[in-house]
Amino acid sequence: MSNIAGKAYAMNVITPLRWYTAWITKLTFWIAGKHPSTTLGLQTLSLIHYARWVVIRSDQFPCVSEKQPREELKYNYMLFFSNFNGSWDQYVDSFSSAIPTGLNLFWVLNIKYPRSVPMLPFHRYITSNQIWTDHYYNAYPMAASNDVKAAQRVRNGLLGFIDDTKNSSPDEFQQKYNKLLLTLQHDVSQMGPNPIVSLSAWAVEKRLRDERRVAGV
Amino acid sequence: MANQSGNAYALTLLCPIRHGMPKEFPEGMEGQTCAACVRYLLQDVMRVSEDSPMARVPNTYLSRFYILEDVPYQGKPATLEHLKSNYLVFSANLHGDLDTWLTGMWNAIQPEIRGLLQYCFGFEGVHDCASFITWIRKCQVETTFFFDGSTDEPLAVQLKNLYLKQEFSDFVFANQGNSPEVLQANFREFVARTQPENIDAPTWRSGAYSLDNVVTGLKAKGANSQ
Amino acid sequence: MISKLDLPDIQGNIVKAYGRYGFPFARYVFYQIDDPTKGRKFVEKVTPLVTTSVPWSEDSPLKIPAVAVNIAFTYQGLKHLDIPDDTLHGFPDEFAMGMKARRDIIGDTGPNHFKRWDKIWNDPGDVFSQNVHILIGINAKEEGPLEAIYQQICGILDATGGVAQLTGHRGANGAEDLRYQSAIASDSDREHFGYADGISTSYFEGCRENPRYVVGGGKPTGLDPTTRAGWAPLAAGEFVFGHADESGAYPEAPGPPLFSRNGTYMVYRKLHQNVATFRAFIKAEGEKFGGVEAFAAKLSGRWRNGAPLTTFPTEESADRFVAELGALLDKSRQGQATAAENARLAELRLKLTAYDYNDDTDGAKCPFSAHTRRANPRSALQFGQNKPFDTPGALSNRRRILRRGLPYGESPENTTDDDEHGVIMMIVNADLSRQFEFVQEQWINYGNDFRLSNDQDALLGNNGFNENGRGKGRMLIEGDAAAQKPPYFCSGIPTMVQTRGGDYFFVPSMTCLRMIAMGIVDPT
Repeated sequence: MSNIAGKAYAMNVITPLRWYTAWITKLTFWIAGKHPSTTLGLQTLSLIHYARWVVIRSDQFPCVSEKQPREELKYNYMLFFSNFNGSWDQYVDSFSSAIPTGLNLFWVLNIKYPRSVPMLPFHRYITSNQIWTDHYYNAYPMAASNDVKAAQRVRNGLLGFIDDTKNSSPDEFQQKYNKLLLTLQHDVSQMGPNPIVSLSAWAVEKRLRDERRVAGV
Repeated sequence: MANQSGNAYALTLLCPIRHGMPKEFPEGMEGQTCAACVRYLLQDVMRVSEDSPMARVPNTYLSRFYILEDVPYQGKPATLEHLKSNYLVFSANLHGDLDTWLTGMWNAIQPEIRGLLQYCFGFEGVHDCASFITWIRKCQVETTFFFDGSTDEPLAVQLKNLYLKQEFSDFVFANQGNSPEVLQANFREFVARTQPENIDAPTWRSGAYSLDNVVTGLKAKGANSQ
Repeated sequence: MISKLDLPDIQGNIVKAYGRYGFPFARYVFYQIDDPTKGRKFVEKVTPLVTTSVPWSEDSPLKIPAVAVNIAFTYQGLKHLDIPDDTLHGFPDEFAMGMKARRDIIGDTGPNHFKRWDKIWNDPGDVFSQNVHILIGINAKEEGPLEAIYQQICGILDATGGVAQLTGHRGANGAEDLRYQSAIASDSDREHFGYADGISTSYFEGCRENPRYVVGGGKPTGLDPTTRAGWAPLAAGEFVFGHADESGAYPEAPGPPLFSRNGTYMVYRKLHQNVATFRAFIKAEGEKFGGVEAFAAKLSGRWRNGAPLTTFPTEESADRFVAELGALLDKSRQGQATAAENARLAELRLKLTAYDYNDDTDGAKCPFSAHTRRANPRSALQFGQNKPFDTPGALSNRRRILRRGLPYGESPENTTDDDEHGVIMMIVNADLSRQFEFVQEQWINYGNDFRLSNDQDALLGNNGFNENGRGKGRMLIEGDAAAQKPPYFCSGIPTMVQTRGGDYFFVPSMTCLRMIAMGIVDPT
């Protein structure tokens, strides 16, 4: 059971919303989606692979068979899922310091939401409503979101470059290579495993790997 | 479509788990509830992420499972209320369209997914890919807002990109200061080895945790080929 | 948010970098407490010697003293003074565990592992334990008065008993068992790699230091960073308990409030410098790069003479600047500067720290990976976007530290890596994990926040060696698109700095010191 898979952390939060506020919240998200400037802060933070908010109306909990009793709830619920890089503290603090208004916009109608500043009540709100992941899969544990984006630029750049230098003399080649490097210079740092942000998570992981090694897996 | 951002898709499932104790259960789980069995399978059997069966499901960027036992109580004056069932919550970020992805999942890891979902309501009716997709769609909830902070390319492309980034990083540092002739010759060798146009190989293995075993599909010239 | 700090209650080393006040000599002495009652007696007797943060000037009743003394305690130290469990449990994990136990987080592994530290830090009975309890720092203008105060403290120790002065510091000529650690500022104010040091430090509300230090030392306001208006003081709570911090709350601290108020944490780290390796490396790389000084400047973000790279991108401009600044400084100190010259001096001094990275969003002048840009990114984490965050320094303002401390040892021309030299680094902050540990782990030993994947700080990073003994560190030195200068990819960077000892200390206020001595701390 771990919220961590390599460089990514899986945060799961579920919070209640008053029944009449669900549509306002949905509207807020809709507007945010239409205006890239709303997400400029998020994009610049660049800590997130993928994140989503899911507002489930009280009558929308899946009911898949007659044997299953239908839910009868007063509140609607907002589910939040994030895949981010860095520690929990860094993530929550970044939001609180850098984009508190945006954060408030998304959560303000949730029951007893304390606002994202000051931080401690906000930390407590998130922690008490956070559910731990039972199984987390990451296709590229050694790549942060920045790495995935950089990698796209690298390959696209390389493909163009290979085409462009098919018939180049060595000197021409070097000139074009230098130009390529100027555009890709920030994208070619080496990747590796995540730094150890949590000693307990690291202890669990180490134990598992040791067991596997002993078992010859 | 709020579930989508470009070609990236956000799948959110709340799979209701049957109540009480199952007739069939994993070893050591006698007298435990269905939800406990699901959790046990997730925590113990699928335990180490790099062995995750999800690595075999094509076009899965990141995915997670958790058990939702109940809704959280915020304390007075909020209302205290309860869910009637536990839910296996599944959130996946994937590339492409849902049915294709689900078909890929069914084809790749049917035993594992059956083993897990057999504890859910209505799953007894699932007997083939089509009925699987139908059941999954019943458990699906619509994403309200999907933020893509990454790219929306096929996973195989992302992995190839990452492989190339890492290899090109080594190349760039190793060739600092080389003459044009040496540089060009080395670059040709680099291209021949890494095959930038070939998405399938060589590339990074999905779910790999260590630089020691991340590269896959190298032509068998020496070490590192798989 | 004007903090009124009770400066007589705050220990002096928090607010003052003694080096700046003309205190080039320092001695750090460490103790272990055997008997709590006698330990408290020792604290009681030393307390009158402790220097506070009261502002100094020739006119104030408290003139600048000849010697400054300060005292701090580790978690085990506090425990051995009978501080109640309820208070002790109010300290965060990282402080209770001690610095050794945090090695995986802060990168004290491999060449930095504590098994390579000075003997004093490793109790032969249990190397994992925290055996150092008390740190007393003595700073002085001259060695004579320093020695006198030291003898006085030794006398108190002998008379009181129950507390042992720990030995085991390495020193020159292969010494391994010295009774204290000495440090001394060089005449040139350069540290052992040759960089002018102590130019910039964090400036916070109520510290009453010279207001010009807010430029570059405070947080960016978004206005022109080359002027005073571009900077505002940081909240005092980033560095002192009991005061609001940058997040608009009091920093978490153990109770009762009177215990922690006006206190803080200090990280003591003895950092050995591989000077010979460094010199060889910058010579070899410098030749390839196009200049040893230019290369050294790229590693740091400042020319070795102190001029910031972002403002003075060429060696020639940096030299001219420093020469003019130095000349005017001399004249001013001799009282011979005209009004115009003093104004010019002020203008030049400002340039040392009055800059940000908004004109350098590609890293063409100062690399993203340069040490000073990593340790204090200012507004750089906005990556040139137009106001993406609430404030320009939103991601940096809560990661600031105060740097105290001095170089130790000597590094003559033919020095080797085995010679005893480096820097005693002391870092003050109100939250070890959010400030020091975060910077160390995420910004020194990692690169994702700078979009540099796993790249480390070339100078301070735990670079490691491969099987051939070649350094594994890598650093991008950005090119300049406008000048069509390609980037320089530097690899084989060896480990230049190695941890040789240290721990996490609590620096109590004067009130707290007296309460500790009296044995009356009670969080009930």
